[in-house]
Amino acid sequence: MARDETPRRQLRIIPIIEIALLAGLVAVPHVTSDFQTIIASRMLILAILAISFDLCWGYSGIMTFGQALYFGVAGYVAALLANKAGVVELLLIIPASMATGLIAALLVGWFLLLGKRTPTVIFVALGTLTASYAAERLVAGWQWVGAANGMSIWEFAKVAGLEIEPGVWFYYFILLFLILAYLGSRWIVRSQFGLVLAGMRQNEERLAYFGYRVQVFKALIFAFAGMIAGLAGGLYAFHEGFIGPASMGIGLSTYAVLYGLFGGIGTLLGPIFGVAAIETMAFILSDINALKPYWPVILGFIMLIVVVWRPTGLLGVILSERERIGSFGIGARKKRKGGGDGAP
Amino acid sequence: MDDVVKLAFDIAAFASIMVLVVSGLAVIASLMGIFNLGHGEFVLLGAYTVYLFREWGLPIWLGMLVAPFVVGAFGAAVERSVIRRLYAQPIIAMLATYAIGLIIREIVRGLIGGQYYAIEEPIPGSFSVGGLSFSIWRTVIIVSTLGVMVAAWLFLTRSATGLQIRGALENPALARASGVSTDRLYALTFALGAALAGLAGALMVPLFSLSADLGVRFLVQAFLSVMLGGVGSFEGPLLGAAMIGSMVPGFQWLREIPGVGGAVSPVVAEVLVFVTALVIVKFRPNGLINSGRR
Repeated sequence: MARDETPRRQLRIIPIIEIALLAGLVAVPHVTSDFQTIIASRMLILAILAISFDLCWGYSGIMTFGQALYFGVAGYVAALLANKAGVVELLLIIPASMATGLIAALLVGWFLLLGKRTPTVIFVALGTLTASYAAERLVAGWQWVGAANGMSIWEFAKVAGLEIEPGVWFYYFILLFLILAYLGSRWIVRSQFGLVLAGMRQNEERLAYFGYRVQVFKALIFAFAGMIAGLAGGLYAFHEGFIGPASMGIGLSTYAVLYGLFGGIGTLLGPIFGVAAIETMAFILSDINALKPYWPVILGFIMLIVVVWRPTGLLGVILSERERIGSFGIGARKKRKGGGDGAP
Repeated sequence: MDDVVKLAFDIAAFASIMVLVVSGLAVIASLMGIFNLGHGEFVLLGAYTVYLFREWGLPIWLGMLVAPFVVGAFGAAVERSVIRRLYAQPIIAMLATYAIGLIIREIVRGLIGGQYYAIEEPIPGSFSVGGLSFSIWRTVIIVSTLGVMVAAWLFLTRSATGLQIRGALENPALARASGVSTDRLYALTFALGAALAGLAGALMVPLFSLSADLGVRFLVQAFLSVMLGGVGSFEGPLLGAAMIGSMVPGFQWLREIPGVGGAVSPVVAEVLVFVTALVIVKFRPNGLINSGRR
């Protein structure tokens, strides 16, 4: 990794992609119909969720199969605030849903990550899966929150007192939060904190020898990711005007994994492309009736192919290994194969 | 007293199914170091085979006999085509098995739709001992689980292949050096684990109804069993499975107690199983069995 003796200037591709993507996203509502803008807004919300997955798996090696849990819980809190307390002001809803996601993720993280024994990847994966599954079942049977039918929000959301309905303005509102979530995550993974995460990816044991409490760092980034997922959930509930048990179950959790893996983990940008690619495909294929029921099967095959043959995802095609900051597990493996682990 | 005997009998039936499911999972996990996230869907595939036989107008018991072989063959194919490439990377392999599980689940969902199908017991009715009546089918489940467990135990401890498997478990490199083909063993193990899941799915489908999400439920419960019993030993997960298997009807039974019953809906009972298991795991991270032994 960092043992290239010749420090040479290399063309950085990520900033170029960032700017191009931003320009593209700003232009979207000007070239699409109203209906397509609403679809695009939903994609932006899912992109926030996908980023939260990437923070966990791509940057910290926490395999989370239950990222939708925080999304769903926050969505339910938003819907409850609207329906039972009459709060539709997004400037209040959004902090509330972020706090919900944060607390939920702190609880799960405390439970799964901060044990007496260092948890294995598989324990965390199945633990998060179980949490998500249990929450879905519980909510689907709970009459007060609408049971299997979920909850609808009839009123339009308000921003600073002004009504906002799904469409161009809501799109830009969501885009703003996507940018904020992206910049916040980027700031974290490039900060000193992110350096510890990078160290953890390279060699967790050695970092523990240095005196870092690795699991605490993992729990913190997990909670932060939960907060971002919560943000997405709150936006989703108001954008769709609906939240249901499926929004916190393993179905959506699987999608989060898929977006991240397909787009390319360890690059924050990857998940956004993953969402765009997969959701656009879904949108086009949904017109073909014969294929509709088998779309999830196709997704399964895509996931299998990506996992087995192209672990770096879409962005891995154009980005150099150097610039892909993440790739937990993959980079470490290559290093070991090269015999350069450096252990005396 | 009669109630207690009946409850114990039901618990034994449900625990037997969990033991079958988990034994398949544990065989693969302990030998290959791969936690098969598609295991629940192998169970589903076993159940679906039985359903197919019924649709074709063939006897259900025949479907139940065939199911383990169908799922075992499928497992072997999966091992040959995908898992084989990923021996060195158990975590990637785990993601791959998850994708395979997703594919199976969604294909079955596409084929049967979102419905629940009840499948009747091949041998309906009950017999009575000392004034208590027992369902014949649940007895069959308990007896066949015991039979399979004894057979598996004999296979592992008495046969030459069993010796090789135990050797490969202790030290794969040394086993290879001694001329044991671990590749072949791994393929065999994976097929065996899948077959056990198929058998479990086929036997239990009259008790639960068939739906596409059946597998997820069993995966989660199997995972909790392994965590409860502790990883590493062979009997640990099985005991964990017995515990999870008994908690399910146990908590449902709580509902019949007057006063408490109102607060415990079927869903709450199911979630209570998760919560109880997770709390135990939290405070006994090495599993009940291992921590007791140390």
